[in-house]
Amino acid sequence: MHKIWVVIRREFLEKVRTKWFIISTVLGPLMMAGFVVISILVAGGGVATRVITVVDMSGSDFGEQVTRILNAPEQWNVRRLRVGEGGLGRVTDSLTAVVGREDLDGYLIVTDEAVETGQLEYRGSNVSSLTDMEVLQRLLQQGVLIARLDRVGVDPQLVSEAQIPVRMRTVNIRDGRETDESAESVFLLAYAMWIALYVAILLYGLQVMGSVVEEKTTRVVEVLMSSLKPFQLLAGKVIGVGAVGLFQLLIWGLAGWVIIMRRDVLLEAFGVEATTAQAIPLPDVSMATAIIFLTYFLLGYFLYAAMFAAVAAMSNSEAEARQAQTPVVMLFVIPSMLMFTVLQQPTGSIAVAFSLIPFTAPIAMPVRWAGAAVPLYELAASIAFLVAALCAVTWVAARIYRVGILMYGKRPGLKELVRWVRAG
Amino acid sequence: MQNDAVVDVRGVTKRFAGHTAVRELSLAVPRGAVYGLLGPNGAGKTTTIRMIMDIIVPDEGSVHLFGSSKTGRDLSERIGYLPEERGLYRKMRVLDLLVFLAEAKGVGRKRAKHDAQTWLERLGLSDWAQRKVDQLSKGMQQKVQFISTLLHGPDLLILDEPFSGFDPVNTQLMKDVVLELARAGTTVLFSTHIMEQAEKLCDAVCIIARGEKVLDGRLAEVKRTHGGQHVIVAVEQGAASVDNVFRDASLVAKADNYGQYAELELTEGADPQQVLERVLAAGARVTRFEIAEPTLHKIFIDLVGPEAGTARAEGDDAHA
Repeated sequence: MHKIWVVIRREFLEKVRTKWFIISTVLGPLMMAGFVVISILVAGGGVATRVITVVDMSGSDFGEQVTRILNAPEQWNVRRLRVGEGGLGRVTDSLTAVVGREDLDGYLIVTDEAVETGQLEYRGSNVSSLTDMEVLQRLLQQGVLIARLDRVGVDPQLVSEAQIPVRMRTVNIRDGRETDESAESVFLLAYAMWIALYVAILLYGLQVMGSVVEEKTTRVVEVLMSSLKPFQLLAGKVIGVGAVGLFQLLIWGLAGWVIIMRRDVLLEAFGVEATTAQAIPLPDVSMATAIIFLTYFLLGYFLYAAMFAAVAAMSNSEAEARQAQTPVVMLFVIPSMLMFTVLQQPTGSIAVAFSLIPFTAPIAMPVRWAGAAVPLYELAASIAFLVAALCAVTWVAARIYRVGILMYGKRPGLKELVRWVRAG
Repeated sequence: MQNDAVVDVRGVTKRFAGHTAVRELSLAVPRGAVYGLLGPNGAGKTTTIRMIMDIIVPDEGSVHLFGSSKTGRDLSERIGYLPEERGLYRKMRVLDLLVFLAEAKGVGRKRAKHDAQTWLERLGLSDWAQRKVDQLSKGMQQKVQFISTLLHGPDLLILDEPFSGFDPVNTQLMKDVVLELARAGTTVLFSTHIMEQAEKLCDAVCIIARGEKVLDGRLAEVKRTHGGQHVIVAVEQGAASVDNVFRDASLVAKADNYGQYAELELTEGADPQQVLERVLAAGARVTRFEIAEPTLHKIFIDLVGPEAGTARAEGDDAHA
């Protein structure tokens, strides 16, 4: 036991000291911050301040009314410019020249005919923003409606009282209880877990492979084998690298938590107002979700690390190992491509199957769990299958490892591998 | 003798796919001895040593160390092992590496650190303790490897081809240190295919070829039994004319002739003086004439035959 501990400590300390670890640990949170900023800037493109001029050609107070209504959203700043008959061409020319610059996003041409036809024209630099146009359309609808009702003698007071904006809140139900998660935040969490598990399991699995190949190519393994049992070395290595993974995930998790908690500060630096930042839905990670995530990370990592270690033990060089790893990587990567289905339909049959198959479960189950309620017996079955597969794979991998690390020369064929496993 | 053997190998056999690397080999290394395991490349020396270290398990037979039934791995704290294939973690710092390798053998961290520093100082590497291994020169790396085999003060040193790959300065250094440890009571088992070195160092030897033991015993005994009467003749002129003398089967049983230098094994009852007379009579100018013990090299060639120097084809390279 003590010897395993010695191997774990070496593996952990040496890995943590590498440039690769330090850079990726710092880069992770930076990328997370960048992701948050960019996604909020993109999604909330319409919530930035907008300056719009209403070119009022109406003879009535319709232009004034429209201007008032358009000023309702907090970030919208709408001015009215009265233009007489015939002056339109000159005014629009000069406005067009400054749109996109000098604090003007666009202008809206309002005529009396619009009340009849419902047709208005907006020219601006933000017409590609779906959110902007949606808001504009909605507000103009309201303006025209009021004007038309007014014309048939309905009291404007009554109209504005009858109108209330409709906003739909989505609430996620899980385990027979409502949560305060919204649809977006559920999706975001599942998506984040998918990416994180995919990257972490593959990354650290490959680290184990690299470490085994290093010992073999430098021939250190021969000295180690004289004092350590192959299984002690393998177990120590896998646990040590896994500890590095947990350590890094912990740092990333903490940094992510801080970024999300203090996103107002971050976003303010990018010119987004604090209130907007708070309004963006962000996932709420419960304790159970965190435990599920870590459990599946560890089980999945152990499963693939054992396979990668066996692959490395069969190879004579890093280049050979990279070739030999392909089947294992495929086993991991190909189902991951189908994971989007799990993400979209967390209760579908593909999702259920994937979360039970040991080789796909490490990613599929946490993604399902984040996306929808998972029956407890399915969770238990998934973990049981995964642990059983882990034991079987480790048993085989350890035997291949034990023979392979002292073998140099031709890479073994399938037949020889079977003999290695039997010989153990 | 049997009870006092530090390494006691009893009838071990190891087969690999397609060939037998070691066949029913027995040998015993007495306590405090410097013991040479000799044989040509591919004879099974490394396989034997790996079985002694419990890195591979024999198909038949058993290995006992220090008279106990524990394996080499369990006793690794008492054994210093230098494998034929040398290697260190390239990215580790020298001191960390030495401490790790000692800890893996079961030595406590504190002691490992202390002993590593002592040895680094002794071999003039203390300035390099915090450097990474790949920043060291090849010769320094060899020293580090050497330190790693003996920093924990083992009772038994097992060195597989210790003189191959090391530069002459380090080879000399290692010889001095090993002999010093041997004098202090450490048992040393080493393998080599270079007989001259074995001859200078060993108290006892075991010669193997093609996985089987050819002979073993104390060096003096081996020489006596396999000696016969040996004569060394060196001539300056007329080397061609003495050939006839060396070919005289009534006088010379075997000749190892290099032209101006020859080692002769005389037939039983032949008189060395007669050889000298015949050589002089042939008109050669003699620069050296010596009645000698046979060299280990000669015994080895006699017993094993020159063809044993070539390993058999079936995949020996991977396992030998």
